[in-house]
Amino acid sequence: MLFNSLSFVVFLVIVLALYYSKIFSWTGKKRMLLFASYIFYGLWNPPLVILLWISTVVDWITGKKLATEENKRKRLYWLLLSMFVNLGFLTFFKYRDFLLDNFTTVVNSYGYGYQTTHMDIILPMGISFYTFQTMSYTIDMYLKRTERAKTFLDFALYVTFFPQLVAGPIVRAQDLISQFYEEKRATVNQFIWGLFLLTLGLFQKVVMADTLLSDTVDTVYGSGKILNFWDAWMGTLAFSGQIFFDFAGYSTCAIGIALMLGIILPDNFRYPYASLGFSDLWKRWHITLSSWLRDYLYIPLGGNRHGVVRMYAALMITMLLGGLWHGAAWTFIVWGGLHGTYLILERLQRQYLPFKITKWNGMFLAFTTFTCVNITWVFFRAREFKTAWNMITSMFYLNPDGEKVLANFDILKVGIVIGLLFICHWFMRNTSVEAVSKKIHPWALGVVWASMFFLIVIAQGSGEQFIYFQF
Amino acid sequence: MQLKQTLIIAFALSIISISAWELYWRSQGLQPNIDDNKNLWANQRAKLENFNNKTVVFIGSSRILYDIQLDIWEKETGTNSIELATQGASPTPVFRDIVKNTTFNGTLIVGITPPLFFATTNPKAEFIRRSQSLVDYYKKRTYAQIINHKLSVPLQQNLAFIRDGDESWDSDVDLKTLLKQIHIGTREGPAYPPFNNFEDISLDRHMKMPERMVTDTAYANTVKKVWTSILSGDFPPPDKESTINAFVDLAKKFKKRGGNLILVRCPSSGLFKEVESKAFSKNLFWDELVAKTKAKAYNYQDYSQFKDLFCPEWSHLAAKDAQFFTKELIKIMKADGALTNLKTN
Repeated sequence: MLFNSLSFVVFLVIVLALYYSKIFSWTGKKRMLLFASYIFYGLWNPPLVILLWISTVVDWITGKKLATEENKRKRLYWLLLSMFVNLGFLTFFKYRDFLLDNFTTVVNSYGYGYQTTHMDIILPMGISFYTFQTMSYTIDMYLKRTERAKTFLDFALYVTFFPQLVAGPIVRAQDLISQFYEEKRATVNQFIWGLFLLTLGLFQKVVMADTLLSDTVDTVYGSGKILNFWDAWMGTLAFSGQIFFDFAGYSTCAIGIALMLGIILPDNFRYPYASLGFSDLWKRWHITLSSWLRDYLYIPLGGNRHGVVRMYAALMITMLLGGLWHGAAWTFIVWGGLHGTYLILERLQRQYLPFKITKWNGMFLAFTTFTCVNITWVFFRAREFKTAWNMITSMFYLNPDGEKVLANFDILKVGIVIGLLFICHWFMRNTSVEAVSKKIHPWALGVVWASMFFLIVIAQGSGEQFIYFQF
Repeated sequence: MQLKQTLIIAFALSIISISAWELYWRSQGLQPNIDDNKNLWANQRAKLENFNNKTVVFIGSSRILYDIQLDIWEKETGTNSIELATQGASPTPVFRDIVKNTTFNGTLIVGITPPLFFATTNPKAEFIRRSQSLVDYYKKRTYAQIINHKLSVPLQQNLAFIRDGDESWDSDVDLKTLLKQIHIGTREGPAYPPFNNFEDISLDRHMKMPERMVTDTAYANTVKKVWTSILSGDFPPPDKESTINAFVDLAKKFKKRGGNLILVRCPSSGLFKEVESKAFSKNLFWDELVAKTKAKAYNYQDYSQFKDLFCPEWSHLAAKDAQFFTKELIKIMKADGALTNLKTN
């Protein structure tokens, strides 16, 4: 079920009505939320709920064993079982064809005529998100960094909680399960603020991403032509806006819906396009994934504890796998590799060419970071290297006679939207929507809210899927 | 924060602005209507899973959708119709779906619109991809999508600004479509003229040409402008051999299991008729298809009563003429013994 759909409106109203009715005890409410979460997921593809159940049961048993088992070897086996099941599902559903294709290419390069057939398996929505979330629980249990979930119901709800089930934020067990132990009710202000965040998230998704930017991106990246400088840049800038609004929109909706239930979810975006460098970017973009990768990959790989070379290697491996997490394609790996390279270069710059960031050079640095990020988005969006290469060459003005596929109005529209996005991120980079709204007169905030709602209604999004669902 | 006050203000302003938006579009002549879209098509396709001996299926392009009036058809023949014609597309992918994925062996009436039918079999071509996408949507649509459609119908039936078309020609008034109508210069080439709506469709895909297309010549001419613009574009030559072969192959399989296949060529006029006569001459295209298919076939050009029918925008019949066409066609088919599952009283 999509947040930007009529069925979700009805679903949410029913869930809220049941949640705040006096029919259920707190345990009953949690059961209702769990059942609702399965409905939320199952209305897309009912059989795939079984994967959620398997993941839930395996990790619950693993957690239970890890809570009592002291034998180191046995503890490791339990952890490996959990990782085998979770990563096994992920590999089978997401990476099987990619691995098989690469295996075939390598084998055939030695002259074998090996042929494979794709199984045309559907990718379970959100599998990368809930897999990482449940794995964080078992790894933390193994490392004794978190308590075992008190009941199976609490744990099952942690795995399946519908607001963040299919596209995050990826929440750690200690941050969410503990919230289920005692009855939660949103205060009136929390409820209204949650509703505001839901509206803001839908506005980002339906109006900004789908209505204002998606067509330009599709026109440019689907043209199959060598493009003009302006078209290549505008298509890529539009994608940078689309993916931000789409994903941040989803996260904002998730946070808002959870807040309406009295549950607090962590921030996932903090104005990333005003980042001052790439370390800063990864503290602001998809925060819950980057902190997951830091805690469960970068640090176990050695982090910065074993010298510079090992640190750079850990950094690069982390970013390459982070790229692969997004999709089973070499273009995503290149995207991760570019980010890894940027991070290494930034650390080298800090070591050999340090400079103080002031308000004067800060905006220039943010703009440079944003420009470099756009180069990486080309590989993220292009389906093939040929398309990516054509785009990159056009963006570096190497195809001065490239074709024009965008109308003047499209260029103007993207220019205004992305310009405003960048400026907005710059001015908001050290604050939050909540802090700003506290300074605004209720009337002004009401007008902003109504304007967003009106634009959502007249945009009439045709229920486009969120981009990150495919990851 | 005084959030309660904010919420009340936002709620009041939202109601006022949405009401104003609805009133504005009504003042512009827009009325609530249902849009032909993938969900209406998928609902019809779902009906085919439970066909009976009274079921008649229509496939083809927009002409058969407009020109065969389903209410008259059902009344005159005593059959139940399933409308699977796809606008702006070839019927072959839908025919393939029926042959491969159903056991239907009743009467299948195929509308042949030469520029679409004989264009290509290339799955990436627009005319093929469009109808294939409907078949794919039916196979893959989720329960959530089914519920969304059911919930959207009352909104479409009551609010003029709510539109749910899938295609670029659907004259939706959503924000994205309205922004697309803004043009500054001609950087990407000349802009297409606006494609004004001429759909009046029911939930069971009974399509009628709106009366405005008959009474308002200027409005009908805006659609003619679009056709002129499209027809003056560059198109690859028709792929007669492969399109006919693909269809004949399916026809053989369908007839082998007892299916009753009927081909119909619906009227066109003006520029369409001119282009079709020159580029898809009857004896070279239609006659060869009929000969190879060995199906009952009815071409409007062979019947004097269909010579002066009125197509307000050259390609589809006005509602009254469509009613006449349907009645007369049924008479001709009955006389010819083409309909095998007529009412028996």
